[in-house]
Amino acid sequence: MSRNRLESHTGATLDFTFNGKAYQGIVGDTLASALLANGVDVVGRSFKYARPRGIFGHGAEEPNAIIQLGAGAATIPNLKATQVELYQGLEASSVNGWPSVDFDVMGIIGAFGRLMPPGFYYKTFMYPKKLWMTYEHFIRKAAGLGATPVEADPDSYDKLNQHCDVLVVGAGPAGLVAAREAARTGARVIIADEQSEFGGSLLASKQTIDGRIATDWIASLVAELAAYKNVQLLPRSTVFGYYDHNFLTILERRTDHLALSAPSGTRQRIHRVRAAQVVLATGAFERPLVFAHNDIPGVMLASSVSTYVNRYGVAPGNKLVVFTTNDNAYQTALDWHQTGRQVVAVVDSRTNPSGEIVDAVKALGIEVLVGHGLIEARGKKRVKAALVAPINESGTQVVGAVRYLDSDLIACSGGWSPAIHLSSHTGAKPVWDPNIVGFRPGASKQQERSAGACRGTFDLAGCLAEGASAGAEAAKLSGRGDGGLQFPGFSVEEYSEQPQQALFLVPHTQSTSRAPSQFVDFQLDVSASGIELAVREGFESVEHVKRYTALGFGTDQGKLGNINGMAILANALDQSIAETGTTIFRPSYTPTTFGAIAGRDVNHLFDPERYTAMHRWHQQQGAEFEDVGQWKRPWYFPQSGESLQKAVNREGLAVRNSVGILDASTLGKIDIQGPDAAEFITRMYTNSYLKLAPGKCRYGVMLKEDGMIFDDGVCACLADNHYLMFTTTGGAAGVLAWLELWQQTEWPELQVYFTSVTDHWTTATVTGPNARKVIAKVCNDIELSNEAFGFMDWRDGTVAGVKARIFRISFTGELSYEVNVPAHYGRHIWEALIAAGEEFNITPYGTETMHVLRAEKGFIIVGQDTDGSMTPADMNMDWVVGKNKAFSFIGKRSLQRSDTVRENRKQLVGLKTLKGSDVLPEGAQVVFDAKQKIPMSMQGHVTSSYYSASLGHSIALAVVKGGHSRLGQVVYCPLADGRSIAAEIVSSVFYDPKGERQHV
Amino acid sequence: MSNSIVQESVLYYFHGAFNKSAVPGSLFSDQTDCGLVIKEAPFSAHLNLRGDAADSEFCLAVAKVLNLTLPLVAGTYSRNGNTSIYWLGPSEWLIVEIGGDAAVIEATMRKALQGHISIVDVSGGQTSINMRGSAAATLLKKSSVYDFEAWDSAEPTAGRVVQTTFAKASAVVSNRPDGSYDLVIRRSFADYVAQWLLDAGAEFGCRVEQG
Amino acid sequence: MLLIHCPHCREHREEEEFSYGGEAHIVRPLEPEALSDEEWGDYLFFRTNSRGIHHEMWYHAVGCRRYFNATRNTVTYEILETYKTGTQPTITGASA
Repeated sequence: MSRNRLESHTGATLDFTFNGKAYQGIVGDTLASALLANGVDVVGRSFKYARPRGIFGHGAEEPNAIIQLGAGAATIPNLKATQVELYQGLEASSVNGWPSVDFDVMGIIGAFGRLMPPGFYYKTFMYPKKLWMTYEHFIRKAAGLGATPVEADPDSYDKLNQHCDVLVVGAGPAGLVAAREAARTGARVIIADEQSEFGGSLLASKQTIDGRIATDWIASLVAELAAYKNVQLLPRSTVFGYYDHNFLTILERRTDHLALSAPSGTRQRIHRVRAAQVVLATGAFERPLVFAHNDIPGVMLASSVSTYVNRYGVAPGNKLVVFTTNDNAYQTALDWHQTGRQVVAVVDSRTNPSGEIVDAVKALGIEVLVGHGLIEARGKKRVKAALVAPINESGTQVVGAVRYLDSDLIACSGGWSPAIHLSSHTGAKPVWDPNIVGFRPGASKQQERSAGACRGTFDLAGCLAEGASAGAEAAKLSGRGDGGLQFPGFSVEEYSEQPQQALFLVPHTQSTSRAPSQFVDFQLDVSASGIELAVREGFESVEHVKRYTALGFGTDQGKLGNINGMAILANALDQSIAETGTTIFRPSYTPTTFGAIAGRDVNHLFDPERYTAMHRWHQQQGAEFEDVGQWKRPWYFPQSGESLQKAVNREGLAVRNSVGILDASTLGKIDIQGPDAAEFITRMYTNSYLKLAPGKCRYGVMLKEDGMIFDDGVCACLADNHYLMFTTTGGAAGVLAWLELWQQTEWPELQVYFTSVTDHWTTATVTGPNARKVIAKVCNDIELSNEAFGFMDWRDGTVAGVKARIFRISFTGELSYEVNVPAHYGRHIWEALIAAGEEFNITPYGTETMHVLRAEKGFIIVGQDTDGSMTPADMNMDWVVGKNKAFSFIGKRSLQRSDTVRENRKQLVGLKTLKGSDVLPEGAQVVFDAKQKIPMSMQGHVTSSYYSASLGHSIALAVVKGGHSRLGQVVYCPLADGRSIAAEIVSSVFYDPKGERQHV
Repeated sequence: MSNSIVQESVLYYFHGAFNKSAVPGSLFSDQTDCGLVIKEAPFSAHLNLRGDAADSEFCLAVAKVLNLTLPLVAGTYSRNGNTSIYWLGPSEWLIVEIGGDAAVIEATMRKALQGHISIVDVSGGQTSINMRGSAAATLLKKSSVYDFEAWDSAEPTAGRVVQTTFAKASAVVSNRPDGSYDLVIRRSFADYVAQWLLDAGAEFGCRVEQG
Repeated sequence: MLLIHCPHCREHREEEEFSYGGEAHIVRPLEPEALSDEEWGDYLFFRTNSRGIHHEMWYHAVGCRRYFNATRNTVTYEILETYKTGTQPTITGASA
């Protein structure tokens, strides 16, 4: 039996290690309760002064026991030991304390604490700037922020999209009865609680409800809820964010109580909940009292001491002093008395406490020091004594002699702060209420209401009544039930409470600035004197003081220190707490792992990979792939050991000299039908389609209304009132939405329908001088002669036994046939074309060769040679703009704006390097004067650049200011390595300038 | 020229995923204790229909050709034997005939329908897969933001359909009277969706039946 | 994450099914060529950027593929109504 474990509490033994030492706990323990049972005092070091720190709380508020769970791939940093359930073989270590928590190099700094005022890091490590990296490395190591795993996470995580009528957050007394009232209306209910068991504060309570012990009452209520089919119970589930329109996120820890890595299934799951109504029953946090050296291990929250005693059977010390401003903490004296260990005294700051519970404590012979303050704790790694003294009624001054109380445990209570975090996430502004000495949730901004302690209602009967009403109301507003209650009243035994005292800073015999540190935020070592100093240095806004002192910045996010900090600030500013206000709580309520946030969108499921029907063939041929949006397109097809450049040279020459084949299936395709189709298309493109006959195609450019090119492609007339529009691969979805936008919102009178057929058709482009011969071998029902089936025509026919549609359009400048078949036949047709082309050495080519071939022809790629600021004129494509169109097509007016007709706009030109083997880097800047001093005047940039095997030299496309009138001028591309490459501005059409080859 | 014309199912890669993922070899076995059973209905006719829902002649003509009423209520479908019409939008429907010939359906409908309509064969671009088993509903919750549970409280005989997100792709999801669900997914995303289904279904036990 | 009622699907749907379409009720000038650069620039680039009531277009991209309008409070993100394209809002800055 561990030394602090009460004999009444037994269970199966669990072995674990902490900072390398072996210990034993029992089933049901948290890591914190097990450490306390074993008498482990120091569990970490503070952030700035590296002071030894012990377990202070018992839940999400814990500021000190911040641990690294496990090691290796599944390790999690920065967990609170109070929230880690013990399992067999658990390994944990402190995140801070270097080289160890017991011997801490940084501890020396503690002795010089006065030399580290707020803003110390800002002030000290600011200069010289380049040394910051060095400082930061040391600070991080010394401060201890936990270690992130460097290996791949072995576990799986996922997400579940949930919808419910009523989400109840918190399964304490208020939450449980709220869920029951909502459940019986038939509403879909989810109730989530971060603890392993439902019951909240009642799990550590000895009260009775309706004549039953609290824990029994909970058990039957939970069983009742579990029997409802319309109720989901989520224990070990933290609601960590509350977002717009009642969207909440819950982190469910499914296996973390079993082992470090999930034995099977999902380790953690995020529930993304859209709730019609929300009941917040998140309880309250006890507030610590700010006295000198209140951070020594052995100082704890009163409710935490009670929880360890009652729920975990752990008495974390021997001689208890209770220090309180309210009746509530007297319960801790009663609980401790039950363990048989000594209650040295109850120190009450109030001058005349008269509650029933006070009398109950006195009746046990326990000394009660009224009108006293516990002004300082003594001890190094554990409390040895408490210094108490009479204080004045307002709690601002010590007014009598100091007395030493021999003690090793101080339980303090400064009252309770409602857990208003989730309410704050919605934007509700917390309201200060002096009656409860705390902030209540502000007026609701969402479909939510608070019930119980998180609303400032601290008596059990009140919590139950509010919970029940909140549950019924929420159900009714979600459309279920009539708002009536099944259980309107509860009979509860509890002491009536007398008013508490608002005491945020316990006076000392010395002034705040001279007294030993009185900590407000333990984790980040923010003291009362630090806040006062910040005010003296001129900070007034609570948000600024927070950032300057780091108050509330630790992993507990100010759950303990915020109220005391605000109050001390208000006092220093000589204004009320209500005037001072509070900082805003934002998601997440507690830290959330990246694993859970990523869910199953990892590895091969990180982002969809879209494949064409020929993808498997490409893989089998050893193609290298390129990402084009989500598509995987063959980039090039290397033959044994071939480099990219060699493969591209070979593929390009094959197309120019014989025949090549390209998988063009990824192009967007939109089927357009309706009597006004031609008129509509003509409004969208720069050129006209009114006279395009069935069997014909036309290339078009689409502009946004600002006159800038945003997509291009070929549009074919399939029949009267029936067209097929090709878009760029990346533009498919955007173009469809663009067409729908104009038809639906501007011209609903135009009768036209659009349907995406991108996935339906597979396209194989056969291109090169021998293309016709290849097609002729697999198609005998289309007359293929240039006269019968010319450039920019299309024909229906049969290819390799499959009904196909062939377009004579070309992106290479060569004779080309684009064969389209329904995708089920994609691979069949592809293999048939490859077989037919064998005698011509038909060569599959990828996107890289496609880019080179089109660049040789000066064909632009939207999004590469254009960037959303280019007009057709800039691209030297005035020929595609219809001058006599009746309707002012989209973007037309903008082509006449003063800025678009400006002469020195960046214009598309070709660049030919003076040394043909030099290939300019894409993105290189163009300057006119290579000798100009930096910063040079940048005149444009290279948009596309390749080595052309067909031409035997490099080619590039660039946009250059006023480029169209600069043909023949030599420009320079200065590179990062100091070289400057000279190039001549030439026509952007490098190959077959008259365009004869595609017309043969 | 090749003599045999080979069609490839959209879900060809479903079977290919077999080799790629860590799913055990029981994927295609007949063991029955699986939470999720997936079956494709390959090579069916899928057509996209557009027209004016307020035009009763149009609605009647469609009903006559397909022997099936055109669903006019948002989010519903009607079915007769192997043929279903799914509501996709106020003027847009998806016609699916399991094992049907899209060219025949298109030709018949073009003949029967007058005025401003659109009928487009999209059979090559998508497929229908059925998902049944005790985990099917949970799988939908993992994959889509739509509230499928809300269908349970709707009229039980009403066929419901929704076009919504599915993982990082999209799907047309509908219910069946036997409690299973049909998904219509796009060809280019099929491999991704297949791998997603296998991964999401792994914890329940997952089996693929040959279509 | 907003929850948006689609007037065509007649139910509330999650924001990720939609894409934003910008301010609603901006009519394209019938004769763009008749406008000065400044007038055309107003149509192209200038929006009300309201604080509070705002009428805006949404596209049910992964859904019924219809555009529709929403009246949204740009401060609270509350969506006060959604209505079909071609109809007018019942809630306006003047009425609210």
